[in-house]
Amino acid sequence: MKSLSSPLTTLITKFDSQTIRLIVVIVTLVMFVISAGAPQAGGGIGH
Amino acid sequence: MVLVVGILGGLTAGWIRAKVLKRPLRTIRLRCWGLVLTAFLLQLLIFSTAVRSAFLSEKAIAFLFVATQVVLIFFAWMNRKEPGIWLLGLGLMLNFLVIVVNGGFMPISPETVRVLNQNAPAGSWQIGNRLGKYSKDIVIETSNTHLWFLSDRFILPGWFTAPIAFSIGDVLIALGAFWFFWSIADVETT
Repeated sequence: MKSLSSPLTTLITKFDSQTIRLIVVIVTLVMFVISAGAPQAGGGIGH
Repeated sequence: MVLVVGILGGLTAGWIRAKVLKRPLRTIRLRCWGLVLTAFLLQLLIFSTAVRSAFLSEKAIAFLFVATQVVLIFFAWMNRKEPGIWLLGLGLMLNFLVIVVNGGFMPISPETVRVLNQNAPAGSWQIGNRLGKYSKDIVIETSNTHLWFLSDRFILPGWFTAPIAFSIGDVLIALGAFWFFWSIADVETT
């Protein structure tokens, strides 16, 4: 468990809060655009 | 495809702009972003086969689809001061309008469907029905379509691999997305 969590912790700490915030913003906008313009693109995932 | 160009083009252009101008990416705080996640997940639910066929009628799907659009409009309003969001919101409003006045789905004309699905077998789509299981589009004659000019009536040129119809609203959404992502290289204002 320790060996598993260690690389994960290292990976997470590489990202500062601003990077995480930017990723959240990008993901939010992508979801917004898909939902606003092409909802079947999201709904069709995996089919 | 239009929306993908808006997102990827804007992200790429914004990132290159930041590199060229040697600026850090701007800190952006979107308000009520949880609403977008909610709308996205709800649409995922109503346009997925299992849930749709098991529990929901066409009317229920149309109602929920419109409800998600209302949620998205509220999100756009709450973030209207961010660059490009008002344009995204305007595009969304145009799509919302034509969807609402045509029964809860985006109208598409039989002529457009024939161009899109030239090799489709006879009977694979019908006027008055949705265009496929997962589609937001409903096939309606242009003469019977309210606000037809806002419907999915544009088609990408033939050299594009994917045949896709889109609306004026989709174009504005794509432009708004491009503008928003372009602005991530703007100078930070406090």
